[in-house]
Amino acid sequence: MKRKFIGKVWKFGDCIDSGNIKGVMAGVDPEFHLKVKPGDLVVAGISFGMGSSAEDAPRSLRDAGIAAVLAESISNIYLRTLINLGLPAIECPGISTLVEEGEDIEVDLESGSVLNLISGASLAFPPFSDHTIAILDKGGLIPYLKSSLAGQEKSATLNS
Amino acid sequence: MGMTITEKICARAAGVDRVRAGDMIDAEVDKLYIKDLRFSKAEDPKGLYGVFKEILKDMGIVKAWDPDKIIINFDEQPARSTRRAEGQERAKQFAGEHGATIYEGYQGGIGHNVMVEKGHVMPGEFIVGADSHSCTYGALACFATGIGFTETVGVLATGRIWLKVPPAIYVELAGKRPPWIWGKDIVLRIMAEMGSNGALNKTIEYGGSAVAEISIESRLSMCNMAVESLALNAVFPPDKRTIEYVKQVSNAPFIPVQSDADADYESRLHLDITEMEPFVAAPGVPSNGQPVHEFLGTKINQAFIGTCSNSRIEDLRVAARILKGKTVHPGVRMIVTPASYAAYFQAREEGLLQILEKSKALLTASECGICTRPSLATGEVCISSGNRNFPGRMGNRDAQIYLGSPATVAASAIAGEIVDAREFLPA
Repeated sequence: MKRKFIGKVWKFGDCIDSGNIKGVMAGVDPEFHLKVKPGDLVVAGISFGMGSSAEDAPRSLRDAGIAAVLAESISNIYLRTLINLGLPAIECPGISTLVEEGEDIEVDLESGSVLNLISGASLAFPPFSDHTIAILDKGGLIPYLKSSLAGQEKSATLNS
Repeated sequence: MGMTITEKICARAAGVDRVRAGDMIDAEVDKLYIKDLRFSKAEDPKGLYGVFKEILKDMGIVKAWDPDKIIINFDEQPARSTRRAEGQERAKQFAGEHGATIYEGYQGGIGHNVMVEKGHVMPGEFIVGADSHSCTYGALACFATGIGFTETVGVLATGRIWLKVPPAIYVELAGKRPPWIWGKDIVLRIMAEMGSNGALNKTIEYGGSAVAEISIESRLSMCNMAVESLALNAVFPPDKRTIEYVKQVSNAPFIPVQSDADADYESRLHLDITEMEPFVAAPGVPSNGQPVHEFLGTKINQAFIGTCSNSRIEDLRVAARILKGKTVHPGVRMIVTPASYAAYFQAREEGLLQILEKSKALLTASECGICTRPSLATGEVCISSGNRNFPGRMGNRDAQIYLGSPATVAASAIAGEIVDAREFLPA
């Protein structure tokens, strides 16, 4: 996973529950899956991904090639699931006024910053922890577990 | 500085002396709840067991972490799709090959209620569940939160989970509970004060002198709604009611945990419930609550008592009390879906089901039912004792869902419109 990337913004409102995110935001915009391109970014308001923990909602964004989700606030389960699926989910208060739809922004996970490439305005968010970066680097929790546990096995063998 | 209940449980699960809000921990899980749906190929083409098997192979291990700590419930019975039926089959296969407790048939019902009734939820435990409403269990003074499909695979393999210890909001309930006010009214009012993301990634800890008067059923309903305020978990302190209840359902040992007097709370909310009016949430989000008088006269097409939020024996008793000798309005479908088969049989024994049937309420099998399955046509209006009123949650996106206590639902079903249940309660 890239730790610094540029993407085009698609904007959504407040309180969009996972039931309406399912099928690439189908509940909000049934045509969205036709418009969105790999590498694009989803920017939303407060309480993004609230509601059901069903993983089809976050998976649909990942499978559509969304590079990251940035929102004023993101439901805990939804945020964790996106990261566990290898997709950066960023809580960034102020993001919905920092950018307009269609603008390009640059996101830096390590320093914790978002830069609007059109207006030059920027915002900071708490940088990702090493653990979270490690999961994202491997492409999600499952590949991370596979590699780290396989690694443990190997070192156990070396020590014996 | 002392610790909150949640911090103490997190510290114990992480194997450290103390943690503070914001600490990242690697916690050992005491119980894992999985609903049957996760075993179907709904979220991943391989299903939960398929993904888990792959991990086992890659890791070179053969067994799930601890079969005694894994509980599975069939939330839909009978399965209404081939995919779901096959998921249930795979759940049984998993239990056969790795060990796990499965509840189905008359042993089951709605998973979260089954977990509590069958004694799988103990004070002081660290519990995760593969369903967002796993936060319900906090009513019994444990830490409990919902997790996703991928995380569930991780717990099955390792028994561990990464987590940021949540800061706490202390909700102090004061005063005396009026007889017509239940957990749902109180929690809808608290949520309205907190706002849609008012408890984002936090723990809601209940306390105060009024807690002792709040039944376990009402506490379950209040903790159930925690995720709707985007909280990580909610918790009631263990008290006499908690200990009595837990001892009724289990012989297992447990260690109750209380918050320290000098525990650190990020914020506090004080609510005197003495003069409270019944509360109802308008369609959209569950935090849209207002006193019921704001909604009087709103015509309804459907009235629903069900879900992991409010369909327990306390709720069925209230509904029967209101509907006794009355008839559901001819323009209303009233649907009652008991919390579990245990609650269903108990209600029958108490004569409640007969009262509901006579009133023309439609009784269904115990399952998630129409909380997760479409039942509302365009423009229809439902009043529900459930937890979610998002657009499209119960059918058409243009249908409207109001949330209220089972008393409000039952009384509104008689009137054909939203009413103040207090006028329908027999003296």
